[in-house]
Amino acid sequence: MTQHLNEDDLYRTSSQYRLWSFSPESLATLRRKTHELAITRASQYAPKSKSSLWQDGTAVDCLNAEECLRLVQRYLDQVRTTSDHFKWPVPVKATAAQYLARFYLSNSPLTYPPKEIYKTVLFLACKTEATHMTLSEYARRISTPADEVLAPEYKVMQALRFTLDVRQPYRGLKGVLMELLNLAEGRVGEVECVETGGAKALQAEMLALEVPARTAQTMWSAKAAGKIESKDVMDRINAAYSAARTILDGPALLTDAYFLFTPSQILLAALHLADEPLTSFYLRTKLPLDSDLRPKILTTIAACAELLASFSGSHILSKDERAALEQKLEGCRDPSTRDLVGSHAVAKRGGDGGEEAEEKARKKKAAREKHLKEGDDLFGPSLNGKG
Amino acid sequence: MATSPALDVPPEPPSKRRKTSQDPPSRNESPDIGTVPSSLPAVADLAEQLDDLERKKYVKGQKLGSGQYADVFSAHLVSDPSKLVAIKKIKVGPEVKEFGISYDSLREIRFLQELDHPNIIKLHAVFSTKNQNLNLVLEHLPQGDLLKLIQDTASITYTAADIKAWMLMLMRATHFCHAHGILHRDIKPNNLLLAADGSVKLADFGLARAMADPFQHMTYNTITIWYRPPELFFQAQHYGGAVDVWSCGCVFAELISREVLFRAWPETEINMVKLICEKVGTPMEENWPGVSKLRGYVTPTDIVPLKPKEQWFAAFRAVGEVGVDLLIKMLTLDPRERLTAEGVLRHEYWTSDPRPSKLRDLPRKGGGEKAMGQDLTQRGGELPRGDTGRADRVARKIDFGAGR
Repeated sequence: MTQHLNEDDLYRTSSQYRLWSFSPESLATLRRKTHELAITRASQYAPKSKSSLWQDGTAVDCLNAEECLRLVQRYLDQVRTTSDHFKWPVPVKATAAQYLARFYLSNSPLTYPPKEIYKTVLFLACKTEATHMTLSEYARRISTPADEVLAPEYKVMQALRFTLDVRQPYRGLKGVLMELLNLAEGRVGEVECVETGGAKALQAEMLALEVPARTAQTMWSAKAAGKIESKDVMDRINAAYSAARTILDGPALLTDAYFLFTPSQILLAALHLADEPLTSFYLRTKLPLDSDLRPKILTTIAACAELLASFSGSHILSKDERAALEQKLEGCRDPSTRDLVGSHAVAKRGGDGGEEAEEKARKKKAAREKHLKEGDDLFGPSLNGKG
Repeated sequence: MATSPALDVPPEPPSKRRKTSQDPPSRNESPDIGTVPSSLPAVADLAEQLDDLERKKYVKGQKLGSGQYADVFSAHLVSDPSKLVAIKKIKVGPEVKEFGISYDSLREIRFLQELDHPNIIKLHAVFSTKNQNLNLVLEHLPQGDLLKLIQDTASITYTAADIKAWMLMLMRATHFCHAHGILHRDIKPNNLLLAADGSVKLADFGLARAMADPFQHMTYNTITIWYRPPELFFQAQHYGGAVDVWSCGCVFAELISREVLFRAWPETEINMVKLICEKVGTPMEENWPGVSKLRGYVTPTDIVPLKPKEQWFAAFRAVGEVGVDLLIKMLTLDPRERLTAEGVLRHEYWTSDPRPSKLRDLPRKGGGEKAMGQDLTQRGGELPRGDTGRADRVARKIDFGAGR
C-alpha cells in the first residue's frame, strides 16, 4: 500500500464535503439565489395588475427570506421530535434533519411547503439508515395518506443531488468519551506524537484540572470540600458527554453547523461548551502544543462553539407563529406544486408511456429505412423515374 | 389573505417546462450547485437544472441486459463518443407502493456516491428522467465478471500469480469499504466485474450498509447463501467487516479450485452449516468462545474437529503454503479471530513469490459487455442464473506450471 489515507483525506472524498460544505458567504449566496428564483417563479402566477409588486420581490403578502428560513428551522425541530417519538436510532434523526436542510438550499418553502416535505424526508432517512418501518405503518402513525409521503420522494432525491450519506458527530463523541474514561483510569500512556509523561502523569493532570466555568453546560460541579478523586473525574467526563450529546441533538441539528463544520469540529465544539478545561486537556493529548495546525484548529472549534451557543430554544417558531407564517404562505405559494400526488401519478404514467412510444417509433423508423434501403439494392432504383 | 388570485392560473406540468430549456454546455465535471448557468429559464429550480444538465450529458445506446430489478444500457458522453459508460435504469417494481424507492437502490446510490477507488465500480452520476426513473451512470466494464472466467474451464486458464492479482484488487476494495465504515455484504465472483484493462471492480452495493453502533441490531439474513459466514447462520445480531472477509475467503478458494467452496444443494441454511462443519470444522466454544450463546446456534451432532493445515494444503496447494495460511485465516470460524481486511493486506502472501500478475497479463473475457448487463440487473443476494449445472463441471484447468 503506497498510499496512506488518513481520516481527513477520507472525509474529503465524502459527498458531504464535496457538495454540502460551505463558507458562510457561499451558503448565504446560495440561499439568496434560491429565494429570488422562487419569487420570480411565483411572480409568473401572479395576476398582471399585481405583477409589479411581485417582480421586485417585495410583495407585501409573501414570505421573506428570513421567514422562509425560520419556517424550515421549525420543521427541522419537527423532524427531531417525530424521530424521537418513534424511538428511531439517532442517525435517522440527524440524517433526516440534514436532508431537510439540504432540500431547502435549492428549493424554497414558497414552492414546496416544509409541512409536506418533512414527512417524505423522514421516511427516506429511515430507509437509508436501515431502519425498517413499512410505508403503511408510517403513514398511519403520522396520520397522512401514504401517497402524500411518497409523492415528493423523487423531488427530494433530486434536491439532495442523489447523495444520501450524512456524516455525523455522534460516534466520534462516543469515541472521545471512551478515550477520556481510559485516560482517567490511567490506561493510556503513550500518545502518538505528543509528550505526555506517561499514564500516571496524565491521570494526575486530569485530577488537577480546573473546574468548568459557571456558564458551562455540564451538570457536574466539584465537591464543596475534599480532594477530587478518580471517581469524580469519571463523573465529570460522563456529565460532559451527556451535555455535549444534548447539544448535538439540539443546536447542532437546528443551526447551519453541518454545512459549515466537519463532524469532529462539531463534536469538539459541543464538548467545549460542555466542559472547556476537560476539552482543552483532551486536545493537548491529540495536538502537540507546537503544531502549526493547532491555532487554526482551535479557532475553528471556537467558531463552531460560538454558532452552537448562539442558538436558543426560543428561536424556534411557536405554534401560533408557525400557523401565521403558513397562512401567509398559502397566499403566495407556487400553484404548480400544489398537487404533488397528482403530478407524481401523471409523471409516472405519462412519462412511461411516452418513453416506450418513443422507442417503438424509433424502431419502426429504422425498420422502414432498412426496408427501403434493401429494396433499392435488390430491385434497383424505383420506377417512377425520380432517381 | 385567504387565497391568491395566482391560484387560478392552470399549473404547467413540470415536463413541459423542462422541454423549453436550451441545450446546456456540456461539462464533464458535475457543476457546483452555486454556479448554474443562467441561460436556463428561471422557472426550474437549481436541483432540477443540475439534474437536467446531467441527463443531457449522455447518449443512451444498446440495451445490455434486462432484469427484474433494472435495465442496463450502454451509453457514451455527448461531448466525447469514445467515453463509454453503462446506464443502469432502475425499474419500478410492485414493492414501490409499500416502500417508495427501494432499499436496494437507495443503498447502492448512498454508498457508491462515497466510494472512489480503482477497484470499486465508479458511479459517475445519477439522474432522473421525467417519468421519475432513477438512472445510475456507472463505469463501463466490458470484460464481464470473475465468475465467467472461473466457469469457463474449457478456454480460460490462469495462474497462481493471476489469482494473487485478482485477490489483491478485491482485498483493496474491501479494505477501502471498511475504512469508510461500509460493509458490502454481497461479495461473490459475479459481483467482481472486469474492466477493459483487466482490473477487478467490486460492484453491486444493493445489500451494503454502514457499520452499526454497538448494540444496534443488524439483519443476519444477508449475503448470498454460499458466501455467507457461519455467524450469520447462527443469527448474530451485530457484526462487522469480518463477514465480508469470509466472503472474500470463499472467492479465494473458488478461484483456486474453480468450484464454489460451500456449494450447499439444495441451498438451505442447514445444508450450509453442515458443509461448513465438514470443510472447516464444527463451531464450538473451544474454537469460538461464545458461539453457543448465539440465538441460531445449531450444529450437526457429529462433531468435526478443525481441519488440520495439511488437509487445507492438499486441497489448495496451488497458492503455496503462504497462500493456504492466508486462506485459513480468512475462513476462521470465530469472526473475532478471522483476519480483518487490513490484516489480510498485511499478510506475507502478497510479498512472497510469485509476484501478482501485471494487469495486462491477466486473462479477460469474462463474458463481455453482456455479462455486465446481466450482473448489474441482478438483485443482491441472488445466485447467478443458469448456474445449477456447475457441480457437473469439475474439470480443473488451472495452469499453475506456467511460471511467468
